[in-house]
Amino acid sequence: MEPLLRVEGLSLAFGGVKALDGVSFNARAGAITAMIGPNGAGKTTAINCISGAYRPQAGRVFFAGREVTGLAAHRLARLGLTRTFQNLQVFSQLSVLENVMVGLHAVTHQGFASAILRLPAMRREERAIAEQAMAALEDLGLAAVAHRPAGQLSYGDRKRLELARALAARPQMVLLDEPVAGLNAAETDAMGQALVRARDLGVGLVLVEHDMALVMKISDQVVVLSFGQKIAQGDPLQVQNDPQVLATYLGGRQEPVNGFAAGAGRGPAAGEAAHA
Amino acid sequence: MSGAEQLSQYLISGLTTGAVYALVALGFCLIYNTTHIVNFAQGDFLSLGGLLLYSLLAGAGLALPLAFALTVLGSALVGAALERLALRQARSREVTVLIFITVAASVFLRGVFKEVWGKQALAVPSFSPETPLRLLGATFTPQNLWVVGITLAAIAGLGWFFNRTLTGKAMRAVAINPRAAALMGIDVERMLLYSFALAGGLGGVAGMLITPITTASYTIGVIIGLKGFAAAVLGGYGSFMGAVVGGLGLGLLESLGAGLMSSAYKDVIAFVVLLLVLFLRPQGLLGRGEAARV
Amino acid sequence: MTRGGRIFALQLAALALGVLVMPLLVGNPYYLNVLNVMALMVIVVTGLNLLIGFAGHISLGHAAFFGLGAYISAVLSATYGLDPWLAMLAAALAVAGIALVIGLPTLRLAGNYLVMATLGANLIFTTVLLQLDQVTGGPSGFSGIPPLSLFGQAVVDDQSFYWLVWAAALLGLVVARNLAQSRVGRGLRALKDAPAAAAALGVDVARYKTSIFIISALYAGVAGSLYAHYFGIIAPKSFDIFVSVELVTMCLVGGMGSLWGGFLGAAFLTPLPQVLHVFDEYKDIFYGGVLLVLLIYQPQGLAGLWARLRARRPLETA
Repeated sequence: MEPLLRVEGLSLAFGGVKALDGVSFNARAGAITAMIGPNGAGKTTAINCISGAYRPQAGRVFFAGREVTGLAAHRLARLGLTRTFQNLQVFSQLSVLENVMVGLHAVTHQGFASAILRLPAMRREERAIAEQAMAALEDLGLAAVAHRPAGQLSYGDRKRLELARALAARPQMVLLDEPVAGLNAAETDAMGQALVRARDLGVGLVLVEHDMALVMKISDQVVVLSFGQKIAQGDPLQVQNDPQVLATYLGGRQEPVNGFAAGAGRGPAAGEAAHA
Repeated sequence: MSGAEQLSQYLISGLTTGAVYALVALGFCLIYNTTHIVNFAQGDFLSLGGLLLYSLLAGAGLALPLAFALTVLGSALVGAALERLALRQARSREVTVLIFITVAASVFLRGVFKEVWGKQALAVPSFSPETPLRLLGATFTPQNLWVVGITLAAIAGLGWFFNRTLTGKAMRAVAINPRAAALMGIDVERMLLYSFALAGGLGGVAGMLITPITTASYTIGVIIGLKGFAAAVLGGYGSFMGAVVGGLGLGLLESLGAGLMSSAYKDVIAFVVLLLVLFLRPQGLLGRGEAARV
Repeated sequence: MTRGGRIFALQLAALALGVLVMPLLVGNPYYLNVLNVMALMVIVVTGLNLLIGFAGHISLGHAAFFGLGAYISAVLSATYGLDPWLAMLAAALAVAGIALVIGLPTLRLAGNYLVMATLGANLIFTTVLLQLDQVTGGPSGFSGIPPLSLFGQAVVDDQSFYWLVWAAALLGLVVARNLAQSRVGRGLRALKDAPAAAAALGVDVARYKTSIFIISALYAGVAGSLYAHYFGIIAPKSFDIFVSVELVTMCLVGGMGSLWGGFLGAAFLTPLPQVLHVFDEYKDIFYGGVLLVLLIYQPQGLAGLWARLRARRPLETA
């Protein structure tokens, strides 16, 4: 079966630095694909190329059976591909509910004319948007703060809000740039569970993440980048035992140690137990 | 006059006004690079230069070199005051608000100039006796040479300052990354102050150079300032080299356009060019293809 | 109806009531004239405020859109004998087209290029008005513009124009509010806050910004047409860049991006020249100084001050 997202030979250089050098990978619907790699490996650049923020110098991106290379972000959103941001991008002047209502922009239609005239169709759609947004907030436990300005939320809540906003329109795929960076253990755990729930509903997730414990626990597939190139791909267990990956992470030593190994140790088995 | 003679005439007047546009454009770039705001008062620094020079020469009877130096100092001080007394005091850090503080300052300064110097045009003498010179059939005055010569000197001076002095390098560091610069022990606020003072001084120089040709008045800088902005956009906003090339290019285009087509719409040319550049090549003629799009 | 919706309805009703009783209190027709100009300014500044509040962009060319509306209406109705209402419609279409041409290239870009582009456009407009004197009457202006007519009656006198222009101003406020409380309004506010995120969620940032710029220019164009048919004579000086600065000043004094900011700013600043006789001489210092102080210390304007005073009261629902 054709994968939902197919990336072929993506390349982009900034000046002389090759941020991405012929990266190819696939990501399926209803699966979590994690992109890992040391800082500067090109993970965020890859997300930016796929999501239309950057235009790659070479390579092609296919989504849901059509080529979308360099397509503007708002068009991708209408096709069902959206993203979150590493540095939070909540609309701080809007209420929490309104943030999620914007999340439904891609799947709703009322334009300027019907807004100005306040047509009944527009008011009906507004009510539906508000209801659906509220449901998305309830899913992530944010319903209680729905009417607060988003700028007043704590950091962890803003992270959750970004996810709620991205998932509100039931997209086919979400690109997540470090969804748990800066969260404490409990918040990370909750976020991981939310991601798994979204996957189980059929959403394809591509996440860039440094938290190896989480990556190994929830991912169905792991893609490893280093210096702009893909050096390994496979399920968490395969990747953890890949000699090149170990060399990249551990500076050449062959036996797993420290954080990476600790994360690896808790592995997919633990994750499955937790969510069984 | 033959066609070739006429052409060289246009080229000379184009280079002269172009040099002034380049100086104004450089002032825009300086402030933009350190603060990321467009300084609308840049043209008023130019007005101030001409007006101050008039007062120091005709009023105080000073010698030209001394009057020149004092005018540079005076307009640099006004530039510094804009940063210290207005922008730094602002409660809001929103770029829109900061830009509009410079708009307000521009209106305010213009009002003050009108009170101090009145509305009439003030004649400022040329820097040297006005014996016409001839080159390739074109007639021009020594003031044309002064304009181009001093502009080149100012550009060279800026180049030396930014590449060879510690303060200049510190200002470049702030332009690239203010937070990192602060962590390296650079006093960022001081560098912002310097960039406004420098932009003020450059505006003052531009005003002194052009007013013997145009006369000084409280509004002279408004249009020239906007054209300087157009020149900066033309060259790729923020690029120093682009500002110089954009300024000279705009000056030439305007003088050729006015000469060959109609002088009635001379002032329109710059803005039509500005809109065309924004439409076709927003990164400017020299800018690289990385113009930030929304 | 939401709580915000009820508050707006109450405020609007209060304003409408004020508009109704004002002519009874004002005996002198000269003051009626001031009120009429105020309403025109309310329309223009409310439109300008839509652009500032929704897109975060400022136009320094709204006097040109105001002037375009006035001159196109004037030329079409006086020179070519078109019905004033049709002339007004044609003027509005032309204003929308010109706003599209200016907005399309500049609003795609990050940074405030629109300020300079609109300022440049305003200068071009003034130059063209002065140079095309066969069509526009040049510096001395254009006269003999026919008035609008309603129900077979010419809207000539101050009193009848008062009803027309204030009805238009109230309508302008309702439209602005409808935009704010809608899917597109939400998209616009979102893109002002975080453009990349808005785009990732499906908001066509460039198209939305251009649309709101066109709507904003339309407010100015319509007000310009009303102005021309009311006064019967227009001159370039009423539409130069200094007027554009005054319009932005009204916007900032009233409250940048606030629904009522346009009304407050225009209501506060329009009568000032009539009250202060020495005002004309010190106009620039006054406008510049007021703007500077406001921008530095109270960037939210009068509307912000009002909100702050209200916030100081103890909350009923804590």
